[in-house]
Amino acid sequence: MVEDKVVEQTPQAKTYITRTFMFMGIYVLINIVAIAGTMDGLPPPARWLVSFMVSLPIAGQIWATLVMIRDSDEFIGAFLARQFILASGVAMALFSAWGFAESYAGAAHVPGWMIYPLFWACFGLVAPFARKPAK
Amino acid sequence: MINNVRALRTARGLTQADLGQALGVSRQAIIAIEADQHDPSLDLAFKMAALFETEVEAIFVNPHRQT
Repeated sequence: MVEDKVVEQTPQAKTYITRTFMFMGIYVLINIVAIAGTMDGLPPPARWLVSFMVSLPIAGQIWATLVMIRDSDEFIGAFLARQFILASGVAMALFSAWGFAESYAGAAHVPGWMIYPLFWACFGLVAPFARKPAK
Repeated sequence: MINNVRALRTARGLTQADLGQALGVSRQAIIAIEADQHDPSLDLAFKMAALFETEVEAIFVNPHRQT
């Protein structure tokens, strides 16, 4: 995909990709620790602490994205900003719709932490639509 | 924005990467401008005009000008 090549070929993009994998790895690690049952043995305050720790790699990812937008040229910066906004909007719309379906249409429960994987799925899917601004 | 960037670039024997480097932008930015998928900032348009030693409107067609 052309958009992926855009992000792979600049020095700023290499830093961005490294940071993305690092923050995504931390997020996955925390989830693995939770799924493995490690949190079950913790007292409630520690569970709250670990729960909020999940937000740190997400905040880190937003920081990495903002740095990438700042340090890239105008085309790549604008492309990434559009891609991020589109992916956020689609993920929020889908998750909100599902939440209403849970409450009023009997849909199966989906945990809130699924919004982050959903965002990344959307991030890839919206790339072709982020290449050119809507006029 | 309709433009003559590709013609001006090739007339000078420059690759997209060469032009991007000369202007301080990525090759992808040049590709997008040539394909009318990115309207450059005024600053970048002036840089191009200076590089090609011409006027901005000789590079980018002004859609608002009545001719």
